[in-house]
Amino acid sequence: MRITAKAKEETRERITESARKLFTDKGFDETTTRDIASEAGIATGTLFNYYPSKEALAMSLVAASLDAGRLDFEARRRGDESLEEDLISHIMTGLRRLQPHRGYVGAVMETAMSPFAKTGLCDDADRTREEHLERVTDLTASHGLGGAPPFVVMHLYWTLYLGVLAFWSRDASDKQEETLAVLDHSLRLFVASLKTGHTKVEVNHVT
Amino acid sequence: MSPEIGELVAALPDGFDEEKAPDEALQTLLSSLANKPVPVGRLTRFWALGSLKAKIALAYMAWWLRSGYVSGDKRAATLNETHLKSAIKLLGTMSYLRGSIMKIGQTLANYPDVVPDEFVDTLSALHFEAPPMHFSLLREQVRNELGRDPEEIFDEFETKAFAAASLGQVHRARLKTGQEVAVKIQYPNIARTIRDDFKNFNALLLPMRLTKDWDNFRAQGEDIFETLELETDYVNEAECLKAAREAFNEDDGVVVPEVFEEFSSGRVLTMEFIEGKHVDEFMATNPPQEVRDRHGHQIFMAISRLYYGLKIVYADPHPGNFYFMEDGRLGLIDFGCCYRFTDETWKYCANVERASHGPIDSEAMDAALLYSVDLTDEAQMGEERLGLLRDYCTWMWEPMQEDAPFDFGDPEYLRRGMQLYGDMIRKRYTRSQPINTWLARSFVGARAMAYRLRAKFNLKAILDTETSVK
Ligand SMILES: Nc1ncnc2c1ncn2[C@@H]1O[C@H](COP(=O)(O)OP(=O)(O)OP(=O)(O)O)[C@@H](O)[C@H]1O
Repeated sequence: MRITAKAKEETRERITESARKLFTDKGFDETTTRDIASEAGIATGTLFNYYPSKEALAMSLVAASLDAGRLDFEARRRGDESLEEDLISHIMTGLRRLQPHRGYVGAVMETAMSPFAKTGLCDDADRTREEHLERVTDLTASHGLGGAPPFVVMHLYWTLYLGVLAFWSRDASDKQEETLAVLDHSLRLFVASLKTGHTKVEVNHVT
Repeated sequence: MSPEIGELVAALPDGFDEEKAPDEALQTLLSSLANKPVPVGRLTRFWALGSLKAKIALAYMAWWLRSGYVSGDKRAATLNETHLKSAIKLLGTMSYLRGSIMKIGQTLANYPDVVPDEFVDTLSALHFEAPPMHFSLLREQVRNELGRDPEEIFDEFETKAFAAASLGQVHRARLKTGQEVAVKIQYPNIARTIRDDFKNFNALLLPMRLTKDWDNFRAQGEDIFETLELETDYVNEAECLKAAREAFNEDDGVVVPEVFEEFSSGRVLTMEFIEGKHVDEFMATNPPQEVRDRHGHQIFMAISRLYYGLKIVYADPHPGNFYFMEDGRLGLIDFGCCYRFTDETWKYCANVERASHGPIDSEAMDAALLYSVDLTDEAQMGEERLGLLRDYCTWMWEPMQEDAPFDFGDPEYLRRGMQLYGDMIRKRYTRSQPINTWLARSFVGARAMAYRLRAKFNLKAILDTETSVK
């Protein structure tokens, strides 16, 4: 029997909804692919036709949230923001949408989005990273900082971004306000490095 | 999580010479700080120490530290030099604390024992500096705190701050009801940073615990810390504002801004906007004597009302907190720094009252003085010190001796007070009950304000009225 594209899309949605529910109720670590499949009313084998792993499934939830965040960002933009302001909003709108996934976002990032992760491992992760970095490149260009920032600078950005995400996922401060301070600091560092054209990072020797 | 002390010390600024005496080392540190570029590192965040106010703050802090052991014996003192140096070095790194170092500086600038001749000017110098929180960051902070963006909450919100607060900044806005408001917003996470820094700081000071005045010294330090903690909590400030606002009626001519709780939290404070002039601006308009007298009267009346009526010490009477309004009223803002009396401290102050009302009762004064320095008999205090404190009290109480206007604009009067302070510094009399810090801040600050207004008014009459109201 052939399944229509529509039916396929519905199944996919059922899976992501079930995963979202279980991750929230039970926690990411405690949830198995079997749990998700049974919640969605499908065989575990069928689930793997859609998502190769639990992490990939989580990543697609994360990607969907980040997509929504990006729309929020565009909607809230006035147009007279400084680069620092744009960048902080760009990230924060995403974090706010990610809030329901905060508990496991670290695990997902680690496998799918870290600079060490293989590309092609997870389409959602690759797409998310590309879109995010593209927007950042546009933003820097629109603030008169020339064409595409050098590779090294974008790498610094991505590292800072993931660092902030990791920090945020474990931030024990009230309303994660410490993340806000860390983010502000990170972005100032990034923008400063863009403006000077090179990155000079003092190393603190801690013994 | 606070870093290990070892890490902290390792990350301290260069140019700090271990061999030099603390005073000298401090000088070196200060000059190296002034020329240091913005550092990038784990323990450094926002570099604010190039500024004069931060240096002043450092200097006070260092002085305060040093005073903690001078009375100890020589050997202990030598031992402590090292730790003192470490503590001073730590202060250097605390510069990333944009706001709280300022806050510490302010607190210490008002310290009763730490008062240079430029006292009045210094108080002003520690205020008014444009803060660097941009709108997007601030919007996120507001959203964290109030759940919505400022654009959604307010009818209009000025994206640029109109004033700096010590731990954040103040923006003008209009509520949907049309009410003009001032919105004070705290920099994210500053409260936690203060807490961590004090932990580190205390750990460094620990070896000083063998010195004679340690307990007293520590009590004062903790008192400062507790106040800092309170000041970071705008809910506490909102409560004080509310209580204070209710303490005045229309005839008093004193306005305390209304708080809009719906739009306030621990880190955001939305209150009625007070339209008026600060003292310099006000004096520049050449106001007539009777207007200045009335404002001087209002200031002391307000502070006394809070004191006797609410048992609150309005402990931060710096010029930025008084607004002289077009219609002749006095606007009183900033209730972040209010000391609330405990029963015990209130009893002590009642003793002082007895001594200070009417002709000075020297026995009651001496009893109050002993208590105030946390000692039990006069022999411990020493003749010279007792004499100095008596002179200081007499100076403080002089304006209330007669039932007649007192000229607070008399430079001679202020100068004498400052001289007494200076002497106390030079003699390093630092032992004191924490309450004295707040009382002195309040009373001396108010006198300095009255001086700047060149005001004449009957302080005794004010006190007689306010003590009978209760
Ligand atoms: N209700 C208000 N109406 C008008 N201006 C205000 C109001 N509240 C605060 N401001 C302005 O903002 C400045 C800082 O506010 P406030 O004194 O409350 O902050 P703070 O954190 O206590 O700072 P500091 O310790 O430096 O006084 C004031 O000096 C004043 O200029």
